[in-house]
Amino acid sequence: MRAAIECDRVGFAYAKRPILHEISLRIQAGEMVGLLGPNGAGKTTLLWIIAGILRPEAGHVRVLGQAPGWRTLFHTALLPERGHLPGWLTVGEWFTHARRLYPDWSEESERRLVADLALRLDRPIARLSRGEVTRVGLITCLARRAEVVLLDEPFTGIDPLGREIIASAMVRECGELGRTVLMATHDVRELEPLFDRVLFLKDGSIAADETADAIRARGLSVASRYREVFSP
Amino acid sequence: MTLDPPWRPPAWELDPSQPLYEQIAHRIRVEIAAARLPKGTRLPSVRDLAASLRVTPNTVMRAYAELEQDGLLETFRGQGTFVAREPGVEARARARIARQAFEHVRRVAADLGMRVEDLLRLGAEEEGGDEDARSH
Repeated sequence: MRAAIECDRVGFAYAKRPILHEISLRIQAGEMVGLLGPNGAGKTTLLWIIAGILRPEAGHVRVLGQAPGWRTLFHTALLPERGHLPGWLTVGEWFTHARRLYPDWSEESERRLVADLALRLDRPIARLSRGEVTRVGLITCLARRAEVVLLDEPFTGIDPLGREIIASAMVRECGELGRTVLMATHDVRELEPLFDRVLFLKDGSIAADETADAIRARGLSVASRYREVFSP
Repeated sequence: MTLDPPWRPPAWELDPSQPLYEQIAHRIRVEIAAARLPKGTRLPSVRDLAASLRVTPNTVMRAYAELEQDGLLETFRGQGTFVAREPGVEARARARIARQAFEHVRRVAADLGMRVEDLLRLGAEEEGGDEDARSH
């Protein structure tokens, strides 16, 4: 099977404070993987390195066989935890802009997602709730045909029923193309059925890398395994 | 050839502490054994079933693969996945479920240090007792 994301002994420090240490991982094309850990474990930094926003200080990263750069940006969609969408635009105006910004934008997916996620297009982004901003960000990611999807806390500010709807939409939009999905979250319980595999990130290192089925075959949920890995 | 719309699965609650593909395969096996999913019924695509159950497409693929291996499902390229048309599909599904149920009973009996027959007799008596209690 082809690797969609590979990290080989990746290290990163911020203002001399070490954030990531010797991160090695391999994610197959078509896998849906959870990147799990408490706040401050280094999840966002790792996603940003894979997305090509930050450069690793040590080690190597390959996305679809290439070092992150302008070429891989075409194939990578990132949902940042705190997005900065232009607040003066309405939701509909933002999508009109995004259609031109991204050559791989699918208007069919956009229409489907806007309907499913019950977004109103006529409201300015600045007036949206936290959950609605997350929805706009998710649609911006999922309406693109990017092969690699990186999601940073995709359920921020979203109520339980909304989470179910988003989970369905996520599977549908990613399953169609066999996309590779890496989701960073500490919200394990809600998202765990969406993981084929989980990476536990603890103090900047991979503490465990296991398939969800291997965990469940031991009679544990991913949420219980999370507690096992992270409780002091 | 026109295809019937695929069968829609009930809203199954899955237990996150057991392999999800096994639970999905088991539920489909029960539907076939109980003849609620007759021979030749078209199943949803991997993507649609994954989206409606909110699990990964790989999970559904693995469940379908297991049922295909047991001869309960068959997949035709470009058409989809169907309940196998060969005779004896229901019986085979039932036999597999019966074996699992029996293994469970045997494990409980072993835990209690009892013989399977004694456990079953005790269970039947208890159930009879409950019914007596309810009718009074």
